[in-house]
Amino acid sequence: MTDYVDAGEAVAHRTLSNVKGEAPATRNVDYDRIQGARSEPENWLTYYGTYDGQRYSTLNQITKDNVRKLTPAWVFQAGSTGMHSGASTYSFEATPLVVDGVMYVSGPDGKVWAIDPKTGDELWRYKHASPFDTSLCCGNVNRGVAVGHGKVYMYTLNAHLIALDATTGEKVWDTTNGDVRAGESGSAAPLIVKDMVVVGSAGGEFGVRGHLDAFDAQTGERRWRCYTVPKPGEPGSETWPDDGEAWQRGGANCWITPTYDPELELLFQGTGNPAPDFDGGVREGDNLYTDSTVAIDVNTGEIRWHYQFTPHDLWDYDSTMENVLFDAPDGRKLLAHADKNGYFFVIDRTNGELVRVFPFVDRITWGEITPDGKVTPKIYPDEEGVPVHFWPGPAGGKEWTHMSYNPETGLIYIPVQEVGATATRRRREFKESIPYWGAGVAVDLDDHYGFVSAVDPLTGEEKWRWNHEYPMCASNVTTAGGLVFQGTPSGEFVALDATTGEKLWQFQCGSGHHSSPITFEVDGRQYVAVPTGWGGWVEGFLPGLLGAAAGDALFCFALPED
Amino acid sequence: MTATADERADVLHKAGLDGQNRTALGRMLGTGDVGYAEEGADGIMRAEVRIPEDQLIFSPSIIVFPHGGDIELTIINDDKNTHCALLPHNGDPKIIWLVNHSKGTARLNLDGPGAYWYGSTTGNDEGRGLTAALVMGGEVPDSAKLDRPPQPRP
Repeated sequence: MTDYVDAGEAVAHRTLSNVKGEAPATRNVDYDRIQGARSEPENWLTYYGTYDGQRYSTLNQITKDNVRKLTPAWVFQAGSTGMHSGASTYSFEATPLVVDGVMYVSGPDGKVWAIDPKTGDELWRYKHASPFDTSLCCGNVNRGVAVGHGKVYMYTLNAHLIALDATTGEKVWDTTNGDVRAGESGSAAPLIVKDMVVVGSAGGEFGVRGHLDAFDAQTGERRWRCYTVPKPGEPGSETWPDDGEAWQRGGANCWITPTYDPELELLFQGTGNPAPDFDGGVREGDNLYTDSTVAIDVNTGEIRWHYQFTPHDLWDYDSTMENVLFDAPDGRKLLAHADKNGYFFVIDRTNGELVRVFPFVDRITWGEITPDGKVTPKIYPDEEGVPVHFWPGPAGGKEWTHMSYNPETGLIYIPVQEVGATATRRRREFKESIPYWGAGVAVDLDDHYGFVSAVDPLTGEEKWRWNHEYPMCASNVTTAGGLVFQGTPSGEFVALDATTGEKLWQFQCGSGHHSSPITFEVDGRQYVAVPTGWGGWVEGFLPGLLGAAAGDALFCFALPED
Repeated sequence: MTATADERADVLHKAGLDGQNRTALGRMLGTGDVGYAEEGADGIMRAEVRIPEDQLIFSPSIIVFPHGGDIELTIINDDKNTHCALLPHNGDPKIIWLVNHSKGTARLNLDGPGAYWYGSTTGNDEGRGLTAALVMGGEVPDSAKLDRPPQPRP
């Protein structure tokens, strides 16, 4: 036999593509600039667009009158090659960011791209190798990146916070922040505050102890860690059994990006379910700070106040979803939160005092919350082996996907899910990395529907409702053009009249929506961008569409140029 | 580098799952030999993997590394057909084209702990058996561990 042919050295896959390799340098994004993000609506600088989480844009080129002319400007196909982690739970859940004419967006399975937002051209790509054996309850997903200080920050599936050079996509630093062998993972979009990057943990279905962390944005060195389950002796520890190990596996993960008030210097972080999700017998007590909003001092990581939405949760009612900051006409600083448990809460964000609570879904059977906030559980998995059906199901009346607040209408637009579930308690012993639910759960395959609910947070009145045969499993965005953009599970991307709820336009994207749309402007043209790709925890929020078409395309719409 | 063989090989042979065009056209995912990488004084972990003639497999099918880090994988195609390898790597997957009777190198960086699959992405090679795994052992650094007493593991 002759000598071997020299096959050379393996090359990066992207070198065999038309990726440009470099993005234009942008003006630096720092703390001051993000605080003023509303004043530059051509960009979408941070996860929610602004620190307050309103997902509102003052752009008004696309209006109620012309939105029917909206058409695709370009489509970016993420695609996958070869074997990848989480193939069965592939989903495009991210919020794209746009900075000075460059779009940055993360995708499934550890991918990040810089894209030309006018053409859809791929400028650079980065893919973090994602171990197949990471414990992921809900898919190989990522909800977005943070951009600032010349870098792009992403929290990887295997719980590494990485910083990439914003012009090349090359890795600058990599900090391991979670223990995959303990069932921890990462999916949240980081948030830049001051000279730090803030990101929270995931892994609530595996009995980890939740935390929010802040890192030096330049070096990746950790500044502080805030555990959201107290140790014995710490405030809140009295809400856990004092003779047990339950707190060590208590959950309360922070898998959605917090909102932030720069005046109060408080982060408003929603926390996840207690563990085990459905078996409360091993964790008697209220189980702080699970299912709560915690106000965290951004300088120290200390919890200043908390409000718990579902004490001693037995239904998997995470409260990780956003806390939208807005001010009442009298100037009172408020916070709005639509919880998985089906109730909408308005809270004084200076001190955590309840201002108002009301239901925002049609069917609530798990329990009741009175107008003064008293919680009474009614139906829950209690006896071993006995099935219990309840509404809302564990995906909640609203899942993590985000509502929006339009200051011009004064309305909050909530994507609502109406789907129940049956849980049968099955106690199990805890072992690291093994699912720790304490029940078998089957979400209803039929008897489901959804709607966008326009609610006045000052009164609790529902002003209008846009109905759909399927639950709303995607975020929406609202604009000064008087519009609300909402994706549906069956693939339609729709524009609604923000005042009346009338559907004015739709486009079929070919796969369901489970992401967060944005709007931005380049060279005087307004665009609306939305990642599509049905997947993630479908068995939890809409198993009736478990077999629906998958996908991973980013659509970008605009009015015709002429 | 060493390979282990035990009665599992006999079981796979009896089932017709250890070669081409027997019970199935190719070897099943996750079957095959296990090999171990060796860490050099330079901190790079090195291993060798081959594609034997008419077997459409990577051998060893699973290579275990002591921890995450930099890898140098020597890949040899002893087959009389052309294949390739698309391998996981932090930054972007790496690909190498392997014509008949060729030898090449892949320099990779992978986090540990973690298990990664790779395959030959041509001609349904992956479906016919050319899939294999790189398994990085070890633990995360103490700074990344939860502040709690040691917990039971399975």
